[in-house]
Amino acid sequence: MNVMLNAEETVASGSAIQPIVLLRGIAKYFPGVIANQDVDFDLVPGEIHALLGENGAGKSTLMNILTGIYRPDMGEIVIDGTPVTLASPVEAIAAGIGMVHQHFKLVKAFTVAENIHLGWKDTPRRTSRAVLEARTAELAASLNLQVKPGARISDLSTGEQQRVEILRVLSRKARVLILDEPTAVLTPAEAAELFKALRQFVARGNAVIFISHKLDEVLEISDRVTVLRGGRKVTTRRTAECDKRMLARLMVGQEVVLGNMRTRRADARPVSEQPVLSLHQVSARDDLGNMALKDVSLQLRAGEILGIAGVAGNGQKELSQVLTGVRPLASGRLEVCGEDLSARSAREFAAFGVGHIPEDRLQSGLAPALSVTDNAVIREYGKAPLSKGWFYRPSAATALARSIAQTASVAVPDFGMPVRNLSGGNQQRLVARREMRIASQVLVAAYPCRGLDVGAINAMMHYFTELRDAGVGVVFVSEELDELCKLSDRIAVMFHGEIMGVVDTADVDIEAIGLMMGGQRRLAAEPAGN
Amino acid sequence: MALRIQRVPSDNLAGGIAARLIAIVLALAVAAAVFAFTGADLGKLGGHVVKSTFSNFGMQDVGLILTPLILTGLAVMIALKVGAWNIGAEGQFCAGAFAASGVALFVPGPTVVILPLMFVAGALGGMIWILIPTLARAYADVSELITTLLLNFVGILLVYYVATGPWLDSSGFSFASTKRLPHDIPALWGDVHWGLPIAVIITIAVAAVLNFTRWGYEVRIAGSNPNAARYAAIPFRRHLIVVMLLSGAIAGLAGMLEAVGTAHRLQGGISNNFGYIGIMVAVLARGSAIGVIAGALLMTLILKSGLALQTQGVSVATVLAITGLILFFTAIGDELSHYRIVRTKNEPQEA
Repeated sequence: MNVMLNAEETVASGSAIQPIVLLRGIAKYFPGVIANQDVDFDLVPGEIHALLGENGAGKSTLMNILTGIYRPDMGEIVIDGTPVTLASPVEAIAAGIGMVHQHFKLVKAFTVAENIHLGWKDTPRRTSRAVLEARTAELAASLNLQVKPGARISDLSTGEQQRVEILRVLSRKARVLILDEPTAVLTPAEAAELFKALRQFVARGNAVIFISHKLDEVLEISDRVTVLRGGRKVTTRRTAECDKRMLARLMVGQEVVLGNMRTRRADARPVSEQPVLSLHQVSARDDLGNMALKDVSLQLRAGEILGIAGVAGNGQKELSQVLTGVRPLASGRLEVCGEDLSARSAREFAAFGVGHIPEDRLQSGLAPALSVTDNAVIREYGKAPLSKGWFYRPSAATALARSIAQTASVAVPDFGMPVRNLSGGNQQRLVARREMRIASQVLVAAYPCRGLDVGAINAMMHYFTELRDAGVGVVFVSEELDELCKLSDRIAVMFHGEIMGVVDTADVDIEAIGLMMGGQRRLAAEPAGN
Repeated sequence: MALRIQRVPSDNLAGGIAARLIAIVLALAVAAAVFAFTGADLGKLGGHVVKSTFSNFGMQDVGLILTPLILTGLAVMIALKVGAWNIGAEGQFCAGAFAASGVALFVPGPTVVILPLMFVAGALGGMIWILIPTLARAYADVSELITTLLLNFVGILLVYYVATGPWLDSSGFSFASTKRLPHDIPALWGDVHWGLPIAVIITIAVAAVLNFTRWGYEVRIAGSNPNAARYAAIPFRRHLIVVMLLSGAIAGLAGMLEAVGTAHRLQGGISNNFGYIGIMVAVLARGSAIGVIAGALLMTLILKSGLALQTQGVSVATVLAITGLILFFTAIGDELSHYRIVRTKNEPQEA
């Protein structure tokens, strides 16, 4: 089944089998960010080529370059031996490159046949429903993809919708199919079906690029695997030569800076015996009603930092919302300082001393159009001296905002100006300082360093150690392993809404974390902490 | 070195006022150019406008137009505070006028009792008119933009129906109006009645509540970002319902003051676009309750000048076009007042 080809050989000789796609020295820069640098990549007919990497490793940017959405700043794209410029997705499709995105681009109210024929130059000008459906059925049969031509997209399961999306790409005569995290939305049975279809597709001399961070399926489906990290290519290997451990290490990287921030100040409060916050078999639903947290049990002690690792979208957001009372529990129990807070409101959590730096500060932690003052006092507007009875004192609010900005070392020219005019780093410092004021017991920080520059990240990290040394329990959610290792005493790894395991950072095994992020449960069930 | 346009973080007061003044001058200049092109005598037209607006009777007209505009503008503005577009002030205005007139016509009693009752009826009428859009928005996320707008037509036609049908003045002198209402709002100066100071007092009260109460703070947060409200456990839905009902009540009160204080009867077309113009007032006010008074005054002067021009043979369409121009230029001026031109070195500066 596997088409054994050595990439280097192919490129060097150029005669054996010509790659369909060859990327040479690709670089793409965004302001302040290197998204891709020196990336070489080749794709030969008949192979399924996995692209592996953490969030932000540069997988999406690279594929956006290949599908004509971005123009590379350096490097060249060679298709069938000819250098090309892909100025738009239309040109990429004309060159035979099609992509199935993670979020499908289908019209829900249309039928399968209508979606297939939408915006396709081969669609007959004068046509009828029956003709479109017959054409769709024929296409589906020739490509061996089962779809129901007359069904409405909204009535189909996710797996069926994905087949429609694939059929749409293939109907445009794509020879290269790019799939972005295709199994994230599928059941195991649907995934097996997909893999079968992909194998048939490449057996006809086509090729597939399979973007994933799940190690198991990369090993199962791919012929070769290219690993990206920090925008650069780490390596390309034949999958047959790889194992899970090795891939995990390649994906996460070995150069994780450990240590320094975990050492406590001499006068730091000791870690408590009893947990300050504990979850007992907590489940919760996401906004769409799907179970996003399944039977999660966790304990946080006062004076420790508990890291939450995992690829984004595996329930971390819901976990942080449950921990702060923003999201109701579907089942289970949540205790803060021994008090059952399972059914309490976010206001009561805050009153209990639980601070919350939410995942997306602009969408939920701040009201961007309102003033710096209004935003700074959202936790304390109801208390003296800001409020007395029904009354609210704007002057006292501004005074509080001023003192928060001062501790956050943010220079605010005018406290009446909209908070969105501050830079992202300064917004985050303000939110963090605001929450630290009320976090007498627990602070939950969801991706607090996301999108910040080095200085602001450093400030954030120091805030958390300051809290830890003052005896507050900190939950630190991040997808950056080196951040997590630098700061946390323990790291819990989430995958599909479950805790795969909790490890002590002191004797951390990066490979083990990488494996858990890819869905493997920690074998030796460890007593939490210790 | 190069010139760059830079967005200024906060809008300053002086800049905002200057931008508006320039906008009005520009709009008038464009209008004057159009008139000059059609061969009109600009001096004569302008003199007439100024004379008729700033005469004794002219100022009384200004007071009478200003009263409902302050309230409809306030109604739209306060709904915007909680993030809702109340396009239905026109319909709520009609409902308030209808309810208050009904009380006046059919409830016997001394003015001192009936007048407060009419106030309550006017506010209730407006509130009932916005009740369904409010609940639909709060519980089913139905856009209030559409529902409030559609109910305007119902409100306007309801007034036409009763004024030409069941409540038609039986004396036979009119064909789209009730008889003169038996109770008046006391006069203040000429035709201007106590409705004007009442409207101003309500506006100041709303401004005070929004700025100096905890409730006002919560409404600001909820209206600006419902997710942030959820994060801080501020009850978004409750605030949405209360504020929208309040918005309807204020618009209904405007209708009551117009019918009882100014027209002294319920007549077809009583709302006279006051509800729609209230939207412009609210936009001009930029979220400030006190700004509503200034915005209403500006709109009133524009409307009054328009009336004066119409007596000089300028068509209604032209007057509306000038009104539109002023608003158009003001909106551009508002946006431009956020920018300034700076000299920079060639490399781009990032904050």
